[in-house]
Amino acid sequence: MTTTRSPKEIIRKALSEERLKLLEHEAFELIKYYEIPVPETLLARDPKEAYELADTIGYPIALKIVSPDIIHKSDVGGVRLGLMNRDEVARVVEEMLKTVSTRVPHARVLGVLMYRMAPPGLEVIVGGVRDPVFGATIMFGLGGIFVEVLKDVSFRIAPVRITDALEMIDEIKSSKILEGYRGQGPVDKKTIAEIIVKTSKLMIENEEISSIDLNPVIVYSNGAIVVDARVILSKVSH
Amino acid sequence: MEHILGKLFNPESVAIVGATPKEGKIGRAILENFIKRFHGRIYPVNPGYDEIFGLKCYKSVTDLPETPDLLVVAIPAPSVPAVIREAAIKGIRIAIVISGGFRETGTPEGEKLEKELEEISKTYGIRILGPNCIGIYDNWSGVDTYFLPKMKRPPRGFVGFISQSGAFSSALMDWMAYHNIGVSRAISYGNKIDIDDIDLLEYLGEDEKTKVILMYIEDLKPGRGKLFIEVAKRVVQKKPVIIYKAGKTSRGSLAAASHTAAMAGEYSIYKAAFKQAGIIEVDSFDEMMDVVRIFLHQPLMKGNRVYIVTDAGGVGVMLTDALTSVGLEVPQTPSDLKYILRKELPPHCIIENPIDLTGDADDERYMRVLDILIEKPYVDAIVVVALPQIPGIKGSFIDHIIKLKNEYKKPIVALTIGSEVSLEVAEKLEKGEVTVFESPERLAKALKALYTYSIIKTRGDHHEKP
Repeated sequence: MTTTRSPKEIIRKALSEERLKLLEHEAFELIKYYEIPVPETLLARDPKEAYELADTIGYPIALKIVSPDIIHKSDVGGVRLGLMNRDEVARVVEEMLKTVSTRVPHARVLGVLMYRMAPPGLEVIVGGVRDPVFGATIMFGLGGIFVEVLKDVSFRIAPVRITDALEMIDEIKSSKILEGYRGQGPVDKKTIAEIIVKTSKLMIENEEISSIDLNPVIVYSNGAIVVDARVILSKVSH
Repeated sequence: MEHILGKLFNPESVAIVGATPKEGKIGRAILENFIKRFHGRIYPVNPGYDEIFGLKCYKSVTDLPETPDLLVVAIPAPSVPAVIREAAIKGIRIAIVISGGFRETGTPEGEKLEKELEEISKTYGIRILGPNCIGIYDNWSGVDTYFLPKMKRPPRGFVGFISQSGAFSSALMDWMAYHNIGVSRAISYGNKIDIDDIDLLEYLGEDEKTKVILMYIEDLKPGRGKLFIEVAKRVVQKKPVIIYKAGKTSRGSLAAASHTAAMAGEYSIYKAAFKQAGIIEVDSFDEMMDVVRIFLHQPLMKGNRVYIVTDAGGVGVMLTDALTSVGLEVPQTPSDLKYILRKELPPHCIIENPIDLTGDADDERYMRVLDILIEKPYVDAIVVVALPQIPGIKGSFIDHIIKLKNEYKKPIVALTIGSEVSLEVAEKLEKGEVTVFESPERLAKALKALYTYSIIKTRGDHHEKP
């Protein structure tokens, strides 16, 4: 985790282990390479390491189990949020490792991913897919019900320039929410647009990625941060 | 160097394999089409005849006295690959394969034949339009493989039409003939094993006889999307491209992989691509033809401010609603204009936009107001509502509208509603290239398309500058 790996190295490693979904810390590492804002994540292998790292990370802390064999982390007790001090962190890591190994005995566990939780803000989603006709295609939408129920999203074929990205943001039907509502100020559209452009670049430069979800991206009046990232690979390069 | 596709549209000689004198056969309809209008050399090919309709008939492609510029093939599918190979060896470089019975049948035999044909095209470098298509209707050269004798042929004109559907293409030609809309060239490309929408778009983009391109597509070939956008971007800087995408339901197969993949129905991606390319997308048949008509005859808009001149208050309000809801502006009359109009018009007329000349309006009143409006730099387009049922209208304002439109290079469109008396006005205006609509909503949508294209065009002109 300490040395920066190139996207190609991250992808090659996953594929060599026959994993088509990047582990969470790999996904973060990959998007960070493109200067997309992500939380500082650290991997703790045991409670002692977690205890030592906690203060440097800052609170509240989120913990997530890292294992190529576990798809639904929360179902097996592999996710804990909102931890407020290092004693608590160490205790929960110990518990988590124990619970997971009982519930999924044969899972390979690399450790526990630790990061500081992002303060609440407006949740948006930025994604990319590889379309058989148009190739890399980028999506933007508001998080939660806006994307899931209303399907209020916009698309552009990559490469997406900053002006296209700003257009995508304004194109969704609920774009007024980005201007601020219920006393909230307007959010930082420029940073969202930059994330869109960087996602476009990432999709173009890494043919092995078949789809990517940055969901949610939390946006503030100044800046934004990706809180969850999912990267799916395909074996054949397109 | 001349574009190879040029031979599709402007060959000097053509061989028709499957030509026959037999009534009701495709080979006969095509041969008759060529005899009627094509001025180049025509070679029927059919081993069963020595002569058809006074033309010497050849046993095979190999026997032809020259290498024709274009080959048209209308014989049963199983015999097609051999004929194409023979033609390629003869030196023929481009062929239209009308025959059906390939991949579209969904049978392994059809699939196999299509692959074979594709192989031959690649190996020998012979370009193929089709198979399973009705081919080309070229109004300027007389190339006409539309084997539908009952289909009326539209007049010579400037709309180029590229269609994935043969039946729709011929129906549209018939419709355009009936509505007197001129066509340059129409192409139905069928299974597109070689020449596809993108090649044709590029060709019509360069074609001097085509001023407006209309496309009907179902899908593009895999991997061709980016090139399509690239080509379209170039073409729209020269002329408008209007597209109707059929098959808008979303594809479910990717749904499981991720959120983004689940959202990315095929159509939403096409929609984004059209927008990026600067193509005008239309959602219905009505809109398609309305937009074609407005592009054919109207100059571009400098802004989105529309002024309405009407003799019916109600229709003025309907139009205001329709124009506003598509995003055009119906501004309030500025004070300088108010001042002039107040002086010019009787006191009961309404000088607020929509400017209502009321039911006692006559030709003269229309002309005076239009003369004033057309000069104003803040008027980007004028909609004339001319309900001719009122007694004061004799019709002399029609020529005046036409004159103003041509002099000022500003869009003027008209709305008429009614029976013969209204259709007569409409016809005269249309002849003078003033686009007429019957429905405020359709007028608004078409005008919006004109405005959208105007922005695309000016933005592009801007980019061009060093």
